[in-house]
Amino acid sequence: MKESTRYNRQIILPEIGEEGQLKLSKSKVLVIGAGGLGAAVLPYLAAAGVGEIGIVDDDTVEISNLHRQVIYKNSGVGKSKAEEAKLMISELNPEIKINAFSEKLSGKNALSLFEKHDIIVDATDSISIKYVINDTCLLTNKPMVYGSVFRFQGQVSVFNYQNGPTYRCLYPDENSNTLNCEDAGVIGITVGTIGLFQANEVLKIILGIGEVLSGKILVYNILNNEQQKYDFEKSSDFAITKEDYELKYNSNENQIQEIHFESVLDEIDNDEVLFLDVRNIDESPKITLKNQIQIPLMNLEKEIEKLDKNQTIYIFCQSGIRSKIAIEVLQKNKFKNIKSIAGGALAMKQSLQEKIHSN
Amino acid sequence: MIEVKYFGAVAEKTKCEFEKLSFSEEISLQKLLQNLNEKYEFESLTFSVAVNQKIVSKVADYTLQTSDIVALLPPFAGG
Repeated sequence: MKESTRYNRQIILPEIGEEGQLKLSKSKVLVIGAGGLGAAVLPYLAAAGVGEIGIVDDDTVEISNLHRQVIYKNSGVGKSKAEEAKLMISELNPEIKINAFSEKLSGKNALSLFEKHDIIVDATDSISIKYVINDTCLLTNKPMVYGSVFRFQGQVSVFNYQNGPTYRCLYPDENSNTLNCEDAGVIGITVGTIGLFQANEVLKIILGIGEVLSGKILVYNILNNEQQKYDFEKSSDFAITKEDYELKYNSNENQIQEIHFESVLDEIDNDEVLFLDVRNIDESPKITLKNQIQIPLMNLEKEIEKLDKNQTIYIFCQSGIRSKIAIEVLQKNKFKNIKSIAGGALAMKQSLQEKIHSN
Repeated sequence: MIEVKYFGAVAEKTKCEFEKLSFSEEISLQKLLQNLNEKYEFESLTFSVAVNQKIVSKVADYTLQTSDIVALLPPFAGG
């Protein structure tokens, strides 16, 4: 350690010591959301010497943030939150590594971000993103340090800690709606208090001290200082596989679901691809390709065993609408290499005619 | 007497943070929730339900005892 006195007051705690400080310096924590909660979590993790901190936020600082997001300055208004937060905490502690990600977290970037860190802190302000974080933590086997606020109350928990219960075990209903700070109103102290509880859980996990809030949710009310803890159990209903995840979040970047027939004209004689006509038998124009099968959309689920899940399948109907529904049906059944042909049989007929003329 | 605690947006609906309710006969957790829903019209609000500090995953099967403390815990979103 270059500056041996920086951490002295925490190193002299018997629960931490040189060994604990080394654990902190080797840990990597990803903080998602640099708003009110993040503004409390970030400086405390940085100051304590967490070796690497990632900050994910695609927002810019607004003047209406400053009453509660106390790491920002008036001069930072309009600038990237992730970058401004990085600037602030690197001045606080230049010995640690800080990475700013000025992007919105989604099923597309979450996996690669999570894999580079040991602990994920949910400091976001939207319910739907909490499910993304939960599911990605499950898939990458990382603990999720959760915090959220409603007016003068806050909740804290640690999900998926050593295979413990997850956010879905507590709140299975993904469609619940509730107000965020912008709509409900909040004071800085509420988010600050809850953010500090989160930072505390992060340090406990890294240091292996105390009791981690796993399988328990803590609810704190700053108006009456009442604090409640509720136990909850793991439910096996919410396991998630990589395939489920990709389907749900469309995380497979190459998954363009619609293609133009021209781009696959070269493949009409390829034995490895199948053209699937989901129109009814009596519809015209007739399209007759070498590797073609007709299953009307209404029979698709019933006759799904006629298809091979691993084959490349190009689906068409009359104009390209039913084929998109067919894509959804097949995706539900774990088909992977499926595309819908834009414009359907009408567009295909035209392309085929043009091909004959040009030959 | 059964004590019911309310949190977050649920407490905004009930306009109180707790209340004590007495019933002349045994009541199931499901029935209690139905009664509360009729009284307060929770509508689209979702919440988890705890009895004696433990979240109950199967509300339908639960019979309440007279000294039980029930809590309605909606998810929070602010950050």
